[in-house]
Amino acid sequence: MGNDGNQVTLTKEEFARQSRILADSYHRYHIDAMETPDRQALPNNFIVKVGKIGLAKMITSEIFHYWGKWDVVFSRPCTYGVFSGPIGGFSPRPEMCVGCLRCTVQHPEFVTVLPNPARAALGDSYLSSKLISTIDDEARKGTVPVRGQGYRGRFGGPGWDGMFTDMSEIVRPSRDGIHGRELISTVVDIGSKPMSLKFDSNGELVNEGPKMMSIQVPFVFDSPDGNIMTKKLATIWKTAAEQIDTLAMLPAELVTTNSLASRAVVPILSTNDAANAGSFGNGTRMVELDSWDNAAFETAKASNHDLQIGIRLPFESGWQSKLTEMVQAGVPVIHFVANNHGEDNEGNFIMDLLMEAHNMLLESGTRDKVTFLNSGGIVAADHLPKSIICGLDAVGLDLPLFIAMQARLSGDTASRSGYKLKLPRKCDDKWATQRIVNLSASWRDQLLEILGAMGVREVRRLRGEMGRAMWCAHLEAEAFSEIEGFLGGDE
Amino acid sequence: MAMSKDPVKPSEALLKKTTDLMHDGMDARAFGEFEMPPALGDARWTDELILSTWHMAATGKVPDNLNYKTGLSNGGFDRLDFKMLNEDQWLEHSEDIDTSISLNRRGDERHNPTPPIPIYGGGMSYGSVSVNVMLARAKNAQKWNTFMSTGEGGYPEQLYECKEHVITQVATGYFGVEERSIQAAPIVEFKYAQGAKPGLGGHLLASKAGEEVAKMRGSVPFVSLFSPFPFHSTYSVEDHSKHIDWIQTVNPDALISVKVSTPHDVDMVAVGSYYAGAHIIHLDGGFGGTGAAPEIAKKNIAMPIELAIPKVHKFLIKEGIRDNVTLIASGGIRTADDIAKAIALGADGVVLGTSDLVAMGCTRCSNCEGGPSGRGCPWGLTTTDIELQEWIQQEWAVKRLDNYYTALQWRLREILRQLGLGDVKDLVGRTDLLKYVRGDA
Repeated sequence: MGNDGNQVTLTKEEFARQSRILADSYHRYHIDAMETPDRQALPNNFIVKVGKIGLAKMITSEIFHYWGKWDVVFSRPCTYGVFSGPIGGFSPRPEMCVGCLRCTVQHPEFVTVLPNPARAALGDSYLSSKLISTIDDEARKGTVPVRGQGYRGRFGGPGWDGMFTDMSEIVRPSRDGIHGRELISTVVDIGSKPMSLKFDSNGELVNEGPKMMSIQVPFVFDSPDGNIMTKKLATIWKTAAEQIDTLAMLPAELVTTNSLASRAVVPILSTNDAANAGSFGNGTRMVELDSWDNAAFETAKASNHDLQIGIRLPFESGWQSKLTEMVQAGVPVIHFVANNHGEDNEGNFIMDLLMEAHNMLLESGTRDKVTFLNSGGIVAADHLPKSIICGLDAVGLDLPLFIAMQARLSGDTASRSGYKLKLPRKCDDKWATQRIVNLSASWRDQLLEILGAMGVREVRRLRGEMGRAMWCAHLEAEAFSEIEGFLGGDE
Repeated sequence: MAMSKDPVKPSEALLKKTTDLMHDGMDARAFGEFEMPPALGDARWTDELILSTWHMAATGKVPDNLNYKTGLSNGGFDRLDFKMLNEDQWLEHSEDIDTSISLNRRGDERHNPTPPIPIYGGGMSYGSVSVNVMLARAKNAQKWNTFMSTGEGGYPEQLYECKEHVITQVATGYFGVEERSIQAAPIVEFKYAQGAKPGLGGHLLASKAGEEVAKMRGSVPFVSLFSPFPFHSTYSVEDHSKHIDWIQTVNPDALISVKVSTPHDVDMVAVGSYYAGAHIIHLDGGFGGTGAAPEIAKKNIAMPIELAIPKVHKFLIKEGIRDNVTLIASGGIRTADDIAKAIALGADGVVLGTSDLVAMGCTRCSNCEGGPSGRGCPWGLTTTDIELQEWIQQEWAVKRLDNYYTALQWRLREILRQLGLGDVKDLVGRTDLLKYVRGDA
């Protein structure tokens, strides 16, 4: 089509030239991760205690015993440099200790390595110290965490830990590339598509076609509730979202007062301000209303017909009836909100809540009409594919982003607004943005690992694919039902 | 953070000093001469399990004052126990209690190895571990008339002295696969997947692919070596049959083992493998794995071995082929009690990997892939670093493994006699002899 909308006939040469330009402009999606060192290192994993008298005795004895064999005298029981400071073991460097324990085995009489309680005290019952350490590592390196010697944790566990994802011994998304996962797509669509297309007798489309936008990863950056977000945080999230081609959901007031509107920014409005939905400009593609109100939704829609409108729906009593109303009213994006532990106000976990929501719409034949997002309770890379399997299109991240920026959280961290955060003193925007980009690269790559193992070629196909999951409780019931004393469930 | 000084082979004096200190320290810790190391262990391999393994490796006996039976993972093997008979019904503890298993139950013309214990060594490739470790395991296998697998990294020349006890692994990268090593093998193992990284292939980090390792794998030094997933020659179980035909042409007497992970349809995979010609179905659960693996894969992809064994065992029975195939389990088998529980759930025997390494001193610090030093395991196990690999001295390591297997067999016989069974084969699939322990195990 020409600029005026009329059909243009191209010559073969021009068609070839334009095709070549189009082909040359293709680039495979990639997130540029870059090692980004800590600005506020976590407490050391280990405390290393060396008995000075024992050490002095050993050195004296070894100098005498191995006189002239200096390689022996100066050898250290550590390949990581804990005892390689200027005065060796008299001033060990616990920050280099990885817990191999060779020193404490070789010299049990005067070297002790202990887990550092300050490290273990990080986080809370859901966002554990281990998860914080993992996120920190992911944000520093931007790579998939790799370690040896197998799994170290509980057999199953509550919440997401009770779910395993399936794999295929033979089926691959593609035989191209080293593993085939190089060609897996993580693009998701945000918006609504009609359940069918309708045409008039002339073959012209008479109902609205799909109204969607695509983002390159199935996660968005979401603001916590209350006054936690600041101009600085909003700017960092916006920049990171632009870099990786996703969305940053930010309070509308921050967007307006700091001129943050962008195609990557989704202003969150109160229902009272719905009429302002169309006012942001600068490529804004979507807005969210902070709660469900049909009139406000219609107002927002009327303000700009090209905008995607999302509605935030807290998992509170009665959410099911609100969901039904919203779908019937034509809301294209429904953004569930759980607390930071992934629970509704009665303590039900999002794994079950999301499956319920997804199944409700499957049964009514309307699932494709809406996009499901969820914020709260997604704090590890494995939670991402697992929540998509439960029915989400994409997830909203907030706490993991703060952890990536090495913020220290205090207060009621289960609540979406009841906590405080303290950023590192040297938290400049560039550093913080790269840490979030790194985290995104790491989580996307880990998603590719899961999809590759399943043989699934695009993450859109994973949505609601509960057959791709195995629940520990079900498998145990199948395996152990004949065994005396097995009751099933949590026991 | 790499160390500035390049490692060199240690002098005799340094070697002696370091290994003496390591060995004495392991014994001192295992015999309780010092407090339990506060930073040792985790839910699956507790401090007591690690130290009891060291105790068994040092003495050949189970310890009196350490829990050498279960971990604290709160599920699976750690929630299962045996319904032992009353003491007056126990059998005598004797060598007459048969712990041997048959590896060829197809009844074909090929040989039928019957190791005296239901255990053989799992694949750990040259590169992921040193040749000292490989050779120690092979010599122990020879001593016990059982086997150990090469893993996917080739067949170091030194292993040929134990070739009757070395399984040649053929995996998706075909690293080091040669006609000679196929012809030498009593068993050829096709690794379709591995439990620690199911569906993800393998990856030897550049820092561990040194001169010798690269030569063995037909590559150049210090380049990351990827083993793709899956076999690019396999699109169906019929293609797998072609693989087996290929091996049969090269070595008509070799048994065929098929190592697979534990997806939802693992039961059907097992049946398909049998009909393609496999003698051994080797299930590898997600909790094991000795080499480096993505953390996300370890627990989240595929199911734990405890849940896969009964699924496959029952399906093979249903298909009427259970008696014709040997079912081997691995991936999280830590103790003799785990071995017996795996057999009671339906396996014929097990494959050990991590516990072999723990017997040789591993503390499970997880820095196998290199760690911050970039040199690999500080104990000399999962490394080919010129200095560190020397910490594992063969004679010592073989003795440790021999002792450890002695203690495993003793404990296995102890369990059997307390169940009134004179043969480990009578334990297969006997879930009626198990009980589920509620609460924190």
